[in-house]
Amino acid sequence: MNQFTFESRYKSVLIGFMVLGLVCLGITFAIDDELHTRFWTNYLQNSVFFTGIAFMSLFTLAAFTTAWAGWHTLVKRVWEAYSLFLIPGLVLMLIVVAGVLGHFHHLYHWADAEEVAKDVILKGKSSFLNAGWYSLGTLIIVGIWIFFAWKMRQLSLDEDVNGTPEFKHHRILRVWSAAFLPIAGFSSAAIIWQWVMSVDAHWYSTLYAWYAAASWFVAAFALTILTVIFLKGQGYLENVTEEHLHDLGKYLFAFSIFWTYLWFSQFMLIWYGNVGEETVYFFHRREHYPVLFYGNLILNFVAPFFILMRNDTKRKYGTMAFIAIIVFFGHWWDYFQMIKPGARLTAMDVLAHHGAGAEHAAEAGEHALGFAMGFTIPGLLEIGTMLGFLALFVFVAFNRLAKASLVPQNDPYLQESLHHHVEIHGDESH
Amino acid sequence: MSKENKDVLYGLYDDEEILLKAVDQANSSHLDIMDVFSPFPVHGLDPKLGLSESRLHIAGFVYGAIGTLTAFLFMTWVFTRDWPIIFGGKPYWSVPAFIPITFEVTVLFASIGMVVSFYTVCGMAPGITNPTLDDRITDDKFCIAFDVTGADDASKDKLKGFFSQSGASEVNMKTI
Repeated sequence: MNQFTFESRYKSVLIGFMVLGLVCLGITFAIDDELHTRFWTNYLQNSVFFTGIAFMSLFTLAAFTTAWAGWHTLVKRVWEAYSLFLIPGLVLMLIVVAGVLGHFHHLYHWADAEEVAKDVILKGKSSFLNAGWYSLGTLIIVGIWIFFAWKMRQLSLDEDVNGTPEFKHHRILRVWSAAFLPIAGFSSAAIIWQWVMSVDAHWYSTLYAWYAAASWFVAAFALTILTVIFLKGQGYLENVTEEHLHDLGKYLFAFSIFWTYLWFSQFMLIWYGNVGEETVYFFHRREHYPVLFYGNLILNFVAPFFILMRNDTKRKYGTMAFIAIIVFFGHWWDYFQMIKPGARLTAMDVLAHHGAGAEHAAEAGEHALGFAMGFTIPGLLEIGTMLGFLALFVFVAFNRLAKASLVPQNDPYLQESLHHHVEIHGDESH
Repeated sequence: MSKENKDVLYGLYDDEEILLKAVDQANSSHLDIMDVFSPFPVHGLDPKLGLSESRLHIAGFVYGAIGTLTAFLFMTWVFTRDWPIIFGGKPYWSVPAFIPITFEVTVLFASIGMVVSFYTVCGMAPGITNPTLDDRITDDKFCIAFDVTGADDASKDKLKGFFSQSGASEVNMKTI
């Protein structure tokens, strides 16, 4: 079957999970502190995470097209569908932007004018970390991404109908892809500084953007593997074989290692330099959030490293589904530990300074860094919220997937993908 | 690796597709192929020849693990027992500082170990010359070779018949 139908039974399951997500968000909001820190951090974490997956799908498409890769052609419609989640992603992030402008959340220390006024470091960064740049940056950067996603999708769909033997569409697509790569590289870094790194507004790390982007990338591939396995289970994508799964698995393996490399490079230089302003980020997480800190490495390095190391595990649907779920959850966990500790400190600071007896409250704040569900570890409400966002993502992606053939017709690399073989030693015979 | 010379009858093919078909044909007529040579790995050839998967990567893992332990334990011994020095106010046993070196030694052990194992298994070493049937099998020709030591003319003719039938561009005899 080349045409995916978004059946109503899928729809009802997905809508069910979206309702679950909304209920979880609602309960979180109701039982929260007065600043609704847990609610807003959950919202920010999931919005950033899933928007990033959409962006990385587009980046992957652009990179593969520029590299003249052919093996991925049979799964490229999945990435096209993912990349169009950038549109709802922008809407989700605009709510955070509205919060920055309207001051109805306290995710960012730098968004509080009173705090900035008496803080030398925040004042020094205020030319970049301000509401104007945050709103404009989000609008312009995600807007550009959406434009490219839309343009590349249109070209790919038009190729299905009007493809020529000279591969006119693909040549144009190649230009758009190559143009997107540098834009994607710089803009994603800038948006990660604004969205995620500025949660810890006093702290910065030059490696941070790569590290966070690698997290998106691995999550995008894990989700792709799960979607491909699901679609195959439903009888679609019959031409996608374990050969394609093997290559997707190699990417999952390689970029899990890449993520670890970046994580460790950032950690070790800061650890070795031993400058208080820099070490505070890791010290704080290791002392107060050990489960997040070490769990991150187990989920995102130890598990994929040992499970995906062998050749044959990357060719088994069951094993791949298992490790893809671990790694997907692991990178969601990674964003959790990036955002939660910093936002919690900001909230404590705001509460202390705005409440009565500032110094007393600040002191109480340090003591209050004990266990807190939804901060020290993700609670059931966080899992429910994540499932809700995931259902929204899959809903949008399936909706797009159903609008075109699963196999890109007239793609110059279609034959290469149909005859893709990665293993010399496979059982397949010619 | 017997010292006695072998008489080898071999055919050269121009294309790997013809080679794969010829191997199938040889298998179905129960001809005992000595070896197949090609300038590059041919997809799907190994199972046709009944070769089992290489165990070199398992050896590589073991060498790597030995490298990991060697580097890590050595540094641990040096910096905690043999010659403890404080670097930059860090504890003697500073695990993060050991990781880059541990990684490098793991790679070094795995790569050198695998190269040495591979050379040993293949009987290769500096100074040893292995006989080659034809120089062009390292360039653009694909070769099927049969061991015909002590074979009678009838069976040699049968093999020659197979070569001409399966599209070999050249058939030669060589004693190696």
